[in-house]
Amino acid sequence: MIINGVSIDKTFAEAFPMKGTRIIITAQNLEWAMHSATAFTGFATSVIACGCEAAIERTLDPSETPDGRPGVACLIFAMGGKGLAKQVETRAGQCVLTSPTSALFSGIEGDDGNEIALGKNLRFFGDGYQISKMIDGKRYWRIPVMDGEFLTQENTGVVSSVGGGNFLILAESQPQALAACEAAVKAMKQLPNIIMPFPGGVVRSGSKVGSKYKALNASTNDAFCPTLKGQTKSELSPEVESVMEIVIDGLSKEDIDKAMRVGIQAACELGAENGIRRISAGNYGGKLGPFHFHLQEIMA
Amino acid sequence: MSALTLKLKTDLAQRVDCSPLTPDKLAGKDITDIATMELVSGRVTLPVAELFDISGDDVNDIRFENSSAKLDHIGHAMSQGTITIQGDAGAYLGQFMTGGSINITGNTFIYTGCEMKGGQIKINGNAGDFVGAARSGYKNGMTGGTIIVTGNTGARTGDHMRRGMILIEGNAGEYCGSRMISGTIAVLGDVGKHLGYAMKRGTLLLTKMPQHGITANFNDCGSHTLAFLPLMFASFKKLDSQFAQIEGFSRVRRYAGDVGGIGMGEILVKI
Repeated sequence: MIINGVSIDKTFAEAFPMKGTRIIITAQNLEWAMHSATAFTGFATSVIACGCEAAIERTLDPSETPDGRPGVACLIFAMGGKGLAKQVETRAGQCVLTSPTSALFSGIEGDDGNEIALGKNLRFFGDGYQISKMIDGKRYWRIPVMDGEFLTQENTGVVSSVGGGNFLILAESQPQALAACEAAVKAMKQLPNIIMPFPGGVVRSGSKVGSKYKALNASTNDAFCPTLKGQTKSELSPEVESVMEIVIDGLSKEDIDKAMRVGIQAACELGAENGIRRISAGNYGGKLGPFHFHLQEIMA
Repeated sequence: MSALTLKLKTDLAQRVDCSPLTPDKLAGKDITDIATMELVSGRVTLPVAELFDISGDDVNDIRFENSSAKLDHIGHAMSQGTITIQGDAGAYLGQFMTGGSINITGNTFIYTGCEMKGGQIKINGNAGDFVGAARSGYKNGMTGGTIIVTGNTGARTGDHMRRGMILIEGNAGEYCGSRMISGTIAVLGDVGKHLGYAMKRGTLLLTKMPQHGITANFNDCGSHTLAFLPLMFASFKKLDSQFAQIEGFSRVRRYAGDVGGIGMGEILVKI
């Protein structure tokens, strides 16, 4: 398959099940909601070392938020419910509770009512002065803080999600690869229910499963490293000088399908004339996870 | 199917316990079964048919017509369905109810919504003393649900209230929120003396400063913008009540008390 001179590999991206939730952070204005959301989703690029994968999904108009203030929706994913609960709680405590004028809400209903704590345990920061309020069947906590009151919903829903959807952009140069990634990420950010958790949505250090070192369970994807073309069983043709990856986590396989299609399409629009040669994907031979995203089927 | 209608035949000499006449307890019964059911009235029991003209067959939609303030325990422990009352209702309307809704066009006597756990009671009139309260000697009043009163309430509204919401469009009587443990009482009109007496926790939300002021048992915590209030007003929008129409506010004067006890309750007055 070739789109605008860009070859689409007959391969598939391999992804794995995760548990995810959406939280909504509001504040007096969008700037302060973003400060809090940026902190909340910081150091959350990969479960390999961060414990979770998180990013800002989109900004919210006051009409879309529970308290009618500007807000930001964040998605956060982890390998299991317990891990997710720990990450949400610690991040909410250190990055949202602390942020001036912020309030914190759940942005999703859990599968079968499955929930984890959001502000449930943060309430103890109130040292007995915290106040519970049941509004429309949901429990909120009002925690007195120095700027007034921190309002947080007690729980947030947990949904089965998919992590690690991806595609690789192979280009003739580093700037061209990055330009294609930027175009893809920009297009994908318009879509709901997905995030690209790496810096700017792009990862340049794609990994393979396993390592020559026993202590590591992931290591550089040498088959796609351009400087190793003559040293390893390379996947790269002579004209490819740079490869970048876009990793996508989503609330469902369908969300990632759609995001990959939109992202690959945007990258292909730059075409071969801008040095974009191939689109491939992180395929680990079935070792990584049960969700397979076949590139040619997605782009058909 | 049409609503099961129970039209009171005559003025009552004695009070009548209507607790068997709920959607839950009438489930599976036809009009003949219902007609022969016995209701306690004073020292005797009387068949339903002797007190009411009965028509209709939908036990999930019960209507009391020509109702009287002597009909007690209407909606007792109901968990679903609707009860509509044309006229007044007696004591203990909706006691122990866990779901469903009760709508009344007249006034209610004491202990409306006593120890209710869920559902909604809408009173298009006045309510007596002890709305949403605990029975005498008991420690937990209503623990869930919503009571809307378009008129006034008597004394001790929300006495021992633990959760849920009481919305009063008119005035509340003396000792409103007394011994309250949690929950919310909102009043659009005035409130009587001894507001929040022995209140432990919970919120009394007022749209204006009470005529009798705030008692010395509540300490002024200053003026604040509270983020939960817009959420609460948004939740009122779906209600059939003046509370759905009022313009929400988040700027309030906060008073904490009753400091004679643990002092964790609050009176919020719109500013």
